[in-house]
Amino acid sequence: MHETGVFWLRVATVLYGVGLLHALAVLVRKKAGFLKYALFAFLMGAVLHFVSIVELTTAIGHLPVDNFFECATVCAFLIAVLFLYVYWRYDYASLSVCIFPLVFVLAQIGAMETPILSWPNPRVRSAWLLVHVMMILLGYAALLLTAVASIFYLIQERQLKRKKKVNLFTKLPPLATLDNLVTNSMSLGFVFITLGVIAGSTWASIESGTSWITDPRIALAFITWGFYLTMVFLRATAGWRGRKAALMAVAVLCCSALTWAAHIGLRTMLAAK
Amino acid sequence: MRFSITGVNHKTAPVEVRERLAFDDDSLAEALQNLKMRPGFREGMILSTCNRVEIALTTEDGGGTTVEIDEFLADARHVSREWVTPYLYRFEDGDAIRHLFRVAASLDSMVVGEPQILGQLKAAYALAKQHGAVSGFLDNLLTRAFNVAKRVRSETEIGENAVSVSYAAVELAKEIFGTLKDKKVMIVGAGKMSELAARHLRRSGANQIFVTNRTRERAVEMAQLFDGKIVEYTEFLSFLPEVDIVITSSGAPHFIIVRDDMKKVLDVRRNRPMFLIDIAVPRNIEPSINELDNAFLYDIDDLQKVVVTNLAGRQQSAEDAEAIIHEEVSRMVARLKTREVVPTIVSLQEQLEHLRAAEVARMHGKFGKLTPEQEQALEVLTKSIINKIAHGPISELRRQASEPDGQFYVSAIRKVFRLGD
Repeated sequence: MHETGVFWLRVATVLYGVGLLHALAVLVRKKAGFLKYALFAFLMGAVLHFVSIVELTTAIGHLPVDNFFECATVCAFLIAVLFLYVYWRYDYASLSVCIFPLVFVLAQIGAMETPILSWPNPRVRSAWLLVHVMMILLGYAALLLTAVASIFYLIQERQLKRKKKVNLFTKLPPLATLDNLVTNSMSLGFVFITLGVIAGSTWASIESGTSWITDPRIALAFITWGFYLTMVFLRATAGWRGRKAALMAVAVLCCSALTWAAHIGLRTMLAAK
Repeated sequence: MRFSITGVNHKTAPVEVRERLAFDDDSLAEALQNLKMRPGFREGMILSTCNRVEIALTTEDGGGTTVEIDEFLADARHVSREWVTPYLYRFEDGDAIRHLFRVAASLDSMVVGEPQILGQLKAAYALAKQHGAVSGFLDNLLTRAFNVAKRVRSETEIGENAVSVSYAAVELAKEIFGTLKDKKVMIVGAGKMSELAARHLRRSGANQIFVTNRTRERAVEMAQLFDGKIVEYTEFLSFLPEVDIVITSSGAPHFIIVRDDMKKVLDVRRNRPMFLIDIAVPRNIEPSINELDNAFLYDIDDLQKVVVTNLAGRQQSAEDAEAIIHEEVSRMVARLKTREVVPTIVSLQEQLEHLRAAEVARMHGKFGKLTPEQEQALEVLTKSIINKIAHGPISELRRQASEPDGQFYVSAIRKVFRLGD
């Protein structure tokens, strides 16, 4: 079945991966030098993506939007094109921080419609899972730090606005320090969670074929990641900082807690299998 | 030896008196030299600041220091003794130690907890040392005083919170921005208060200052003070997005920064925080601006409230500090008293040894020649007897030294053993 189409999609996903790396590097280091290369790889990815969609369309006779995977890949392509247009027209590159990861993850979901391979041996399987869990845990740790710093920010901001100190909180750090801490830990957390989500979704697709996407827990994980992406986006491009950003960080933490709670059941499910 | 501190401070003397008594660097050096010439002088140090002039002095026993030091101060400052005496206070021994510790710890300052006094005291000490006027007792005592001041500073919160309006503004700015380095300040309306606040902010690192004023000359004048930039009064609103801290003190009868202006400014700043200090009466900035995200507006009353709260906190800290000082003074006095009984102990030991040696010599006459072994046995025997006799009184002397009525026991022991005076 339309082998070449899927092949080109996978190559495109790898090229989008360069963009993803760029976005993560920007988040961690504030400045990454290779935007030109990342944009070029992204453009090539979009071209191959187009080739893949054309091939699939000719193979099945209509636009491949029959299921979630196919929708995801078409959606990824449209976003990529839109971004490239905006970049070409307005020279507006700061969106890349959010667009690169988003397109990569959507393309990756699309590329996993047909299972690639089975586990070469159980060790790789469990090592992969361990990587996923570690990444997610590191991400949650960073997110927790973000949320705590955000709560401190909200308290300190309230004290400064009300011009009154509560005894317990007279020694809080300055607002700017807390805001920086929120930004840095949030960026780092996003890097870990993104890598964790990618590792987790590939693991799940190899493990259980195409049925993984319908698992509500995994859907929830993607939604959480989406929230996180939105937060990074608003902060990086729309200049959300201070109180609004702090409130949002707390909301994302709650959302993540929900995902985590949903996954607690996962181990028992695996054991029962 | 006697230790005393004589002087005036802001509580005992008005500024007209203090300024006539204050020493400058040259006259201070000269005065130290003169002080050293005085009869009975052992050690001395002169502390002269805008709030106090004090002379710390140790003298030989038996000297009538009271009159002489008044006279010395009057001579040194070319005033009459009768004029100066009513303003002077004098502390002696334990009280003087307590006073010194309180001064060092900034408990005796006009603004309790202000940090300059310790530096001034250290400078006075260095100068006295340089002129060879301190050694031994006063040297130890001052070193101890510096440690006490350090202890008070680290164990209480005495110097922590701002107690002036302009300084409170700086503290608040630090709570918002962390460091003030490279923060930009705009002064709207050049007045004394805004000048003071700007000076504090600048000292904390905010090095770019914009000045605007309805009359341009005044703005120019003030801009020169901080080498700031002048902004036309009609255009200052368009400059606001660039600055982090705004101080208004203009005489305008209405708000000169309103909520809608500020909304736009914050948008342009992409929500970076802004600190607005309105020290004008009537107010210059619309109060509801404080409700906007990332804008922090404090008016003169708000700042005053911060100061009042901080002052109350300082009062509490000052009480904690007094407790520390009390403890340190008792420790110091006890150590000094123990040192005082040392001569008594020595003369007791000498007295007993003298008796022993005389008795042994007398025995020699009766026994004739002894073998070396017998000789040694006799030495050991007699020495151990006097040591046992001395043990009780000596340990009692040491113990009683630091007790309040210890002097009674000391003189009793001196009498009993015929130690003379």
